[in-house]
Amino acid sequence: MHSISVALISLRSLSAGIWVIVVLFLLSGIAVLYSVQPKTESIEMWVFSPEHQAMYLPMIESQSDDEKMKPRLSLMSIAAIKSRMMSGFFGGLPTADLIEVERATVGQAFMGPIEAIGFRDLTDRMDSEGLLELFNPPSLSPWSVQGRVFGLPHDVHPVMLAYRADLVEAAGIDLERVETWEEFFDALSPMMTDLDGNGINDRHAMSFWFTQPDNIELLLLQGGGHLFDAQSKPTLNLDLNAKLLATIVSWCVDPAEPVIDIDEFSAAGHQARIDGTAIAYLCPDWMCSIWKMHVPLIAGKMKLIPLPAFEKGGRRTSVRGGTMLGFPRTSENFETSWESAKLLYTSPEIARELYRAVDIITPVRSLWDDPVYDEPDPFFMNQRKGQMYIDLAPNIPIRTSSPYNTSAVLEIRDAAVNLAQWAKSNEVHQSKDLEEKAKELLDIAQQNIVRKMSRNAFTGVEN
Amino acid sequence: MSKQRVVFAWAALAPFLLLFTIFMVYPLIQSAFLSANQTYGPGTRTFVGFDNFTNLAEDPLFWKSIGNTILYAMGSLFIQLPLAFGLALALNSKKLRGRSFYRLIFFSPQLMGLVFVSILGALAFEKRAGLVNRGLAWITSNPALLEIDWLQSNIMATLILISLWLYVGFNMIYFLAALQNVDQSLIEAAEIDGAGAWGKLIHVIFPAVRPVATFVVLLSMIGSLQLFELPFVLLDGSGGPNNKGLTIVMYLYQNGFEIGDLGYASAIGWALAFMLIGLALIQIRMVRREELAK
Repeated sequence: MHSISVALISLRSLSAGIWVIVVLFLLSGIAVLYSVQPKTESIEMWVFSPEHQAMYLPMIESQSDDEKMKPRLSLMSIAAIKSRMMSGFFGGLPTADLIEVERATVGQAFMGPIEAIGFRDLTDRMDSEGLLELFNPPSLSPWSVQGRVFGLPHDVHPVMLAYRADLVEAAGIDLERVETWEEFFDALSPMMTDLDGNGINDRHAMSFWFTQPDNIELLLLQGGGHLFDAQSKPTLNLDLNAKLLATIVSWCVDPAEPVIDIDEFSAAGHQARIDGTAIAYLCPDWMCSIWKMHVPLIAGKMKLIPLPAFEKGGRRTSVRGGTMLGFPRTSENFETSWESAKLLYTSPEIARELYRAVDIITPVRSLWDDPVYDEPDPFFMNQRKGQMYIDLAPNIPIRTSSPYNTSAVLEIRDAAVNLAQWAKSNEVHQSKDLEEKAKELLDIAQQNIVRKMSRNAFTGVEN
Repeated sequence: MSKQRVVFAWAALAPFLLLFTIFMVYPLIQSAFLSANQTYGPGTRTFVGFDNFTNLAEDPLFWKSIGNTILYAMGSLFIQLPLAFGLALALNSKKLRGRSFYRLIFFSPQLMGLVFVSILGALAFEKRAGLVNRGLAWITSNPALLEIDWLQSNIMATLILISLWLYVGFNMIYFLAALQNVDQSLIEAAEIDGAGAWGKLIHVIFPAVRPVATFVVLLSMIGSLQLFELPFVLLDGSGGPNNKGLTIVMYLYQNGFEIGDLGYASAIGWALAFMLIGLALIQIRMVRREELAK
């Protein structure tokens, strides 16, 4: 009793300023504790693309009179979605009811044990409603873990080769007949010249470099290589991967300089596209809209052809990027979200708008005969670009959903960098002469990724 | 001390102790527990004992990150600090006109902030179109210099160069303050004794600024060991080709917040903490030795 009164006397001696702070602290604390979160009936959807938001809004408005069915769209950056989504998953806290996730960021969600994946397993539901057959089968693979599907595919993203047709045709070269990479580089070799006489080659057949992980992965997949097997075990050091890596690195170290490193998204890169520094570009469908927006000066000068194959009769396309729509387990509105998502992801109107706005073809196979894909595209000299991409869509390579895919791609990139350095220092330029060294470097990459995976007690592989 | 005063002291300390316990002591203890677990976020974990530390000892990426960080720290120590001291000497000279203007100019990168400087650095060191390569090619009339691949092949050199831009002016301020406190009578006495500029620098100025220099060295070393934002922005979150730009804190971040293994990240954090404690102990010892010498 005595000590309490002593404490009260002590508190009385505190200054008025301190009491103001204490009162403010208490008031704000109570306000936060008892503040009522505005509860809305409708579901929430996170998107990272302003174009997607713009497409979905009219559809959402027109889809139903029921406010509950209309998702509230929140636009945020990929990084913000990733950190908010993962924080929610890790803490078991509510996030959104629907989340659009980009491929490079989804791996983290698949890192832990399958039962800890923050997204709802959609396999049975998709199967019962016929959606598994509705979507392009290879487009489901990046969102599937151990045969279970955790997201609806938003796109296919097949890859073609875009080239400066104005320059090529002026040189009297016909690239339409080209079937293999070898034929492609041979056909364009007369154009690789020093235009201003400063001793440096000003024109190159293609934009590609051994430091570009996404394009390295794209070409490995095209050639039949893979980084993980069906059981998600790493397969970086396959003989086929070594052969493909040796081939693509040989392009970079060839003294004739058939390829050049041009940035894909910077102003400097766009200027190089205008200048015709590189004649051809690896072009997934989404890249078309980026060029239309940022490099309008090349409109009407470009044409598309299927990717040249590594061998005659080989695959003429590949795949790059991708987005899925996931349903967090913590969402209490699954049924409403599901109905709304089906409408957004399978509607012909949205598919049409997706192509018109951002040149992306839908993964819904039944919509591939829509007339929109037959429309001539003036940017690509009136080619029926949509149909060209659709023709290739079923042949895109199967991709892994391994959470270690990004690490594996970076390991392959490092192997490519080291191979190029070795080739330059030893003056080795032929792909056959590079294969042995490529295999050696891929063995190291394989060891690195196995070591990383074996540390994971949940999904680890044996060393 | 009366009981009333003791109670008052505890009441006054209570808010600090509460916050200190919640935000410092608890996370410290929790991170020690975490370092003995493999986690997937905070919710999923499995006990692995000392495995995280043994894995760390055998993890080539961890050692690579340490090597890179030490290389950067050496760059700071042997290039950045002498430059900062040299600048401070120059800007302390009364013969130089417009000293305040120069001080502002050299300090100004600090006002922009690390992330902004990193973004500008990435643009300046871009291959072919970057200011640095363009400048080099123009000065030497050698277009081949446009192809210098700073951000792919020369990552550490790029990091050190950008950090020079950012920190030389900042460290210069410390040295400048120290130089302005050098006893002028000692300098005049040295001049009377016939000391030249070099003699004054070695025998008067260096000993006078040594305590500040020791502090700046320690600050710079700790800052170097904590290097994160600059390579993170410059290399788009990765360590760059062959992980040449991977630092200890970046590796911690990758494991903790990209992979979700807070246990392994905690083990890296503890390793870093021991390194920082070691550095601090060295500094304390040096200061004590100086005090004893006096």
